[in-house]
Amino acid sequence: MSLPGWLAPYDRDGAIAEAFGVFTRRHALHAAAAGVSAAAGVHGLAADAQAASSSDRGDVAVLNYALTLEYIQAAFYSEAERAGALRGPLAEQARVVGAHERAHVAAFRRVLGTQAVAAPRFDFRGTTEDADAFRKTAVAFEDLAVAAYKDQIPLLQQPAFLAAAVAIHSVEARHAAWIRRLAGVLPAAHAFDDPLPRAEVARLVASTRFVVSRPRTTGAGAPRLTG
Amino acid sequence: MPPGRLTRLLALVAGALVSVAVVAGSLAGSHAAPGAPAGPFAETQTIAIPPPRPLRTDPHLVRWAPVNVATVARSAPRAGAPAVAKVARRTPEGTVDVVLVLGHSHVTPAGVWLRARLPGGRVGWLPRRTLGGYTVVTTRLVVDRRRLTATLLRRGRRVFRAPVAVGRPGSPTPAGRFYVRVALRHYRSPMYGPLAFGTSARAPGVTDWPAGGFVGVHGTDRPELIPGRVSHGCIRLRNADVVRLGRLMTVGTPVTVR
Repeated sequence: MSLPGWLAPYDRDGAIAEAFGVFTRRHALHAAAAGVSAAAGVHGLAADAQAASSSDRGDVAVLNYALTLEYIQAAFYSEAERAGALRGPLAEQARVVGAHERAHVAAFRRVLGTQAVAAPRFDFRGTTEDADAFRKTAVAFEDLAVAAYKDQIPLLQQPAFLAAAVAIHSVEARHAAWIRRLAGVLPAAHAFDDPLPRAEVARLVASTRFVVSRPRTTGAGAPRLTG
Repeated sequence: MPPGRLTRLLALVAGALVSVAVVAGSLAGSHAAPGAPAGPFAETQTIAIPPPRPLRTDPHLVRWAPVNVATVARSAPRAGAPAVAKVARRTPEGTVDVVLVLGHSHVTPAGVWLRARLPGGRVGWLPRRTLGGYTVVTTRLVVDRRRLTATLLRRGRRVFRAPVAVGRPGSPTPAGRFYVRVALRHYRSPMYGPLAFGTSARAPGVTDWPAGGFVGVHGTDRPELIPGRVSHGCIRLRNADVVRLGRLMTVGTPVTVR
């Protein structure tokens, strides 16, 4: 899988590509050098040949993908709370759900150790500071997370990871129901939910333009300061 | 049966037992008693989800944002309010300019406004749509013109202190609250040393300076003058000190000159 061309401009540091399963040569070398030892350590597996198996690498990729989704959500709710523009039930939802998402980030980062992808940089374009925009965006994020987890959970090989991912998935579903209720949308619209493939999630995330590159605030030009 | 398959089968059985134990525990509405022997879930769980914690209300945390669209800062959060200052997209050195966000967002029927500290030292209101994403910092640089020191704080704790040279009496370093706008390296100007930070402060004594007379925090080719009151308004550090500061301080860091 290669990164779609339209996604590349948003991914100058490679975080999206890494999270969405496009391992660069640098990452491949890093993983080989590490022997996936960090993952093996947290798995509680012996550091034998099995530690570098394709199933472990697959789990690491899935967990990093989940971590990226959690980064987005955690940053979104944290920014909303810091902006302080939400009131009442919406502010409470942002506060509670934000704490959950940050806990999910902490959990994934802990288990992935040095193999955890870095947090992207975000520009939520004012959606954290306007109640109507916040509601719509939060509904989209939570529905997206539920569908993305549903797609990825069957791919996990380690039973313990599976148990944790299911535990998070149901909480994301509660978040979705909560914000749907606040947005006046039916919390459970269908008897069955569909999973959403990675490529489609990537397309949706990119379409928001919420993931941005670092602004160029350093330079090599001659200082024009007073001296 | 090959060992690999056996291991996998055992893992699946353990996973099933885990699920049964979790469901049983949930239905009973109880948790394991303290000191109880750990069940299979406790032994196999490798993702421990920590308890949710509220967002840290850190009094040292501030936010900055890049300027995406050149705009005019206003004295109040509305388009018709008196202009305070023009805000450009670029610094004199060509990098993206930034503002320091103050307080909460202000929602109006016409859009969201932010109160911000601006290049030049003033404070004004900007439309949210003219700015990019926020970045948070927890550092703060304090320059003491009487003691001739620069101190960097992280979350209120001192992590750096060094002697400095500040402006001479005819071109004093201005007192007030400012922030770091740009970091410059690899240029060919020995008088600024190996690293220069541009701040939002403007030196009052050199307003005819080509780029507007902005105050920098930088190294020097005259270390013997530090500490002292010898500059045109800039804050000079010895080169080793400014390099050390460069590892600790980022763009967006508030600067207090007193």
